Amino acid sequence: MNKKNSVLVRSLLATGLGLVAGAIMMLFIGANPFEGYFYLVKGAFMSVERTFNVVGTGTALVLTGLSVAFAFKTGLFNIGAAGQMLIGGLCASTVGLLVPLPRIALLPTMFIAAALGGGLWGAVPGVLKAKFNVHEVVATIMMNWIAYWIAFYYIPTFIKAEFMTTESALLPAKASLKIPWLTELTNGSYINLGIIIAIAMVILIKFILDKTTLGYELKAVGYNRDAAQYAGIKVNKNIILSMVIAGALAGLAGFVYYCGYSQNMQIGKLPSLGFDGIAVALLGASSPWGVLAAAMFFGLLHSAKGFMNAITGIPPQISDTIIAIIIYFTATSLFIERLIKKVIARRKEKAKDAKGGED
Amino acid sequence: MKRVVVFLLAIMFIANFAFAGGDQEESSSASLKVGMVTDAGTIDDKSFNQGTWEGILEAEKDMDISTKYLKPVGTTEADYMKEIGNLYDAGFRFMVTPGFKFETTIFQVQDKYPDCKFVLIDGAPHNADWSVFNTADNTVSIFFAEHESGFLAGVASALQIKEGEMGFIGGMEIPPVQKFNWGFQQGVAYANDKYGTTVVLNAENIIYQGTFSDVAAGQQLAAQMYDKGVSVIFAAAGGVGVGAINEAKTRMAAGEDAWIVGVDLDQYADGIYEGEKSVILTSAMKHIELAGYDTLIAESKGEFPGGKTLYLEVGVPEVNPNLGEAALAAMEEVKTKIEAGDIEISDVVGDLFP
Amino acid sequence: MEYIIEMIDIYKEFPGVIANNNITLRLKKGEVHALLGENGAGKSTLMSILFGLYHADRGTIKVRGKEVNIQNPNVAYDLGIGMVHQHFQLVHNFTVTENIILGSEGKQILDRKTASKKIKDLSVRYGLNINPNDKIEDISVGMQQRVEILKMLYRDAEVLIFDEPTAVLTPQEIIELMNIIRNLIEEGKSVILITHKLKEIKLIADRCTIIRRGKYIGTVDVGKTTTGEMAKMMVGREVLFNVDKDEAKPGEVILEINDLNVLNSRKTLGLKNFSLSVKCGEVMGVAGVEGNGQTELVEAITGLRKTESGTIHISGNEISRLSIRKRYETGLSYIPEDRHKHGLILDYTVGENMIMKLYYQEPYSKRGILNPTAIEEHSNKVMELFDVRAGEGNMSLASNLSGGNQQKAIVGREIDMNPDLLIAFQPTRGLDVGAIEYIHKRIIEQRDAGKAVLLVSLELDEILDLSDRVAVVAGGELIDVVNIEDTNENELGLMMTGVRREDMHE
Repeated sequence: MNKKNSVLVRSLLATGLGLVAGAIMMLFIGANPFEGYFYLVKGAFMSVERTFNVVGTGTALVLTGLSVAFAFKTGLFNIGAAGQMLIGGLCASTVGLLVPLPRIALLPTMFIAAALGGGLWGAVPGVLKAKFNVHEVVATIMMNWIAYWIAFYYIPTFIKAEFMTTESALLPAKASLKIPWLTELTNGSYINLGIIIAIAMVILIKFILDKTTLGYELKAVGYNRDAAQYAGIKVNKNIILSMVIAGALAGLAGFVYYCGYSQNMQIGKLPSLGFDGIAVALLGASSPWGVLAAAMFFGLLHSAKGFMNAITGIPPQISDTIIAIIIYFTATSLFIERLIKKVIARRKEKAKDAKGGED
Repeated sequence: MKRVVVFLLAIMFIANFAFAGGDQEESSSASLKVGMVTDAGTIDDKSFNQGTWEGILEAEKDMDISTKYLKPVGTTEADYMKEIGNLYDAGFRFMVTPGFKFETTIFQVQDKYPDCKFVLIDGAPHNADWSVFNTADNTVSIFFAEHESGFLAGVASALQIKEGEMGFIGGMEIPPVQKFNWGFQQGVAYANDKYGTTVVLNAENIIYQGTFSDVAAGQQLAAQMYDKGVSVIFAAAGGVGVGAINEAKTRMAAGEDAWIVGVDLDQYADGIYEGEKSVILTSAMKHIELAGYDTLIAESKGEFPGGKTLYLEVGVPEVNPNLGEAALAAMEEVKTKIEAGDIEISDVVGDLFP
Repeated sequence: MEYIIEMIDIYKEFPGVIANNNITLRLKKGEVHALLGENGAGKSTLMSILFGLYHADRGTIKVRGKEVNIQNPNVAYDLGIGMVHQHFQLVHNFTVTENIILGSEGKQILDRKTASKKIKDLSVRYGLNINPNDKIEDISVGMQQRVEILKMLYRDAEVLIFDEPTAVLTPQEIIELMNIIRNLIEEGKSVILITHKLKEIKLIADRCTIIRRGKYIGTVDVGKTTTGEMAKMMVGREVLFNVDKDEAKPGEVILEINDLNVLNSRKTLGLKNFSLSVKCGEVMGVAGVEGNGQTELVEAITGLRKTESGTIHISGNEISRLSIRKRYETGLSYIPEDRHKHGLILDYTVGENMIMKLYYQEPYSKRGILNPTAIEEHSNKVMELFDVRAGEGNMSLASNLSGGNQQKAIVGREIDMNPDLLIAFQPTRGLDVGAIEYIHKRIIEQRDAGKAVLLVSLELDEILDLSDRVAVVAGGELIDVVNIEDTNENELGLMMTGVRREDMHE
């Protein structure tokens, strides 16, 4: 069994175990798990609108997952996707609300603003890590809260909606990633241009990691910092760069979420998508295509859990718990790998026994 | 790759057909399914969400309906749209949404789901840039004269403490809360003018916290006001008000004079700090529970007031153990005058503190 | 014939490898029995089975003629089997006594005084010369090893297993260890000695069991067998022991170090006023006991560690302030001490590892885009030139290579860069005879091609075999630089303890 396949098997197995655990919990609260899962799947695909909602809901998760996965390739744990996303969203929304440009120029400007904002938010922990050896987990968590309070001040002060101090104004249509004809066609689903951005980023990141010297350096630093330094690679530069790129990706997640999925921002809330990105990256085994698949799966759970709740009374928290359990199983991959190996070994032994001791 | 896409599409379409079938029969055979989507805060917020939900539950006792509420993950339009969609797809055809923040959402869903009835509390459906207002035939929007109950509470509190300072803590700076504030100010001024009290309301003690959920901030704001010598705070602030009540309880238990004027519901029970004693002087109520109840009763009689804007009852609690006889008497007097139209209460800021 | 331990037809399989394929080892009472094999031959697995760390899939173990089932190390202890591990298992800020009684508290009441006395007695009886009240952090590595031995004796071990015991010792300490082992035998103990050093076997062992790639090759009487024969059994072919080399033809100075001061990781001076020059066409050996400034010296030259003061010139260029990459570009190659920590990125393929220092140059990349064809060609070339064997060629993950092939890959990568100065730090650590032979040949080729080589090794034999001159370091200072013809193992061993040559001959 080669490495790629075993990772895939591991993720699928973790997902399966997570669903089984979810079923047990449904039984525990007196619900019928078959019914629960039936309505979960139905909630995801019962109509064109809902099918596209799965994609729309998963879009930002692709980017936060990619952000975490990318940093992870360089051996860094980016817990700060939430804050980077918030800042990215702030920058994009500000441009979208205040800069008078036609749509064709406005959207690219918002894109750049979001990437820059998120990148800056990633750069700070990167620099702290590189220069002062401050652990990035601590630094990114702190940056999350700084972003949180900045948004708390910034939104009511500069981009507030009329009569509302807790939300930014709704974006004008020209600054929205929603494509009117597509929204119309899909009965008002959340699908938007963001998915194009997300897929483009998946391809770009895949390319950077696999085909460029930059990716070579970043991965070298991630796999073995000492060896990278020995090879003459500037470890500190790569740490900062990795965090900047990870931050920019999360910033773009803010762009597609706040300007595509929703049309405005809210204060007093760190986007949970930032943290879900960790889960997506883990389940996707940090590979860009894996992240895309995992994000879509989580998009399904998130977009359908409300329907399941509405029709069966199974609380939507069950979906969240399934996600959490899948993460546990993915994180304890060693255990799972050992399990797989044992099964294979046992099967081999059986085959051997069947043949009847050749040696 | 290509094969994968084709495969996925195929599954999608099969799933669409498979699921589409069962839908109709489900909704036709069952009784009316009534849903609610909560605003910021929880269902037991002792105020807005709770009041709305209790009204629906009350109606459930009196008629054959099934009920359910969903709590959105956030408070943006997208979050609301999603939960309304969930309810609709699950067969719910009557929905109650508390809060003006649903205005733009309802504006869209009333057209998207024309066979579903919507009750919007504290708001009128309009589009994103406020250029189009439209309350469709399947929607009723409900308002309250918050300034009136604020006025009554202002008069009563001023008469009760006679002199000293009062304050106001609002949640978000939105029309219903502002109207409470302005009514309260006018009530205090009226008492000073007509009943000879000398109660002061300083501009610095009129504060909007900005959320309906930050309990800790509410407690902090209340503590600051009490430290500055304020003895009564009108807290029209949901969860923020809960924080203020907590602070008042601590201070009253320690023998200080720290009163709260409650909001939305009769909050007396929430303010109890010792035995029967409560920090709640009185409450500026609006009968939110009537919104769901009245419209559901109307619906059951086939008289859903679609396309209309209703104004529902406000007031103060019937029993106010913390008010003295003078205050109670004055309140009754004022109530009659308001009903008779002898007192004009403004629902705009005018020369009041904003 | 009385056997104290018999391991018969032991079979142990790990996923994908048969570590022990029907191996038999019989230990007589009162003998030193060597277990000889290359790295990865299955020696450690076999001994771990005896010590209860692994369980054999098949086979029987008999102790004093009785079949036993050794479930865990405690069972082994109870049967009188003790193991002195290669990596000591000692608590550094505890005293000798505390370390020895640690883990045996349960059985008797913790009476330090009695324990201390028993340890003292054992120490005297076996000539270990240990003070029970010393703290571990204050005593030398050799002494720490004796504490490990004492630990076993304290638990009344009858059979002692030594796992590569000489790897961490100075030549003098090795001699002392041999004496201790003789004392153990005299007192009626039996010893199993795991090693791949033929010289030590010749010196001390009575019999020797040889295994190769998990298979039992044979058991020989050491007195009646030559080292050559044993080596052949171990490797599976004839082995050359001496490196053939012509006389050195040193030319101009390539590496010039002046008054170099470098901090160690404890922030004290690990290298003090160090000066040394290495000429092209010579191998300069650096001899010393581990941790006496070798790491600081090498890392200061390569740029992995900052220098405090002093200068380093390569071919006349001052490099002590240059980036690591710039230093390589001035003609420096470096085979690092730890191939897993520095030498390789184990999660990269062999091909990717081969371009570790070249990836940014054409043809391996152009405008930031890697060129897989050029990388593949390059790595195939190096792998062929340096006989690097890997299952999937240049696409194999570095972690899937054997230790020898990993090291050959590193040596190949570094030598292929055609450096003026090659720094080789423990280039053959943990390798089998075949690989050592090969790497030694390549290092001498560099010298003969007129390059300078700085060879840092803890194996004195390696220094003696390869060097033209030897710089001895102790305590971060250069003790002396001597010509290889003018010195011998004894003298170098003494100098490694810090004794200067002029003081020796008083």
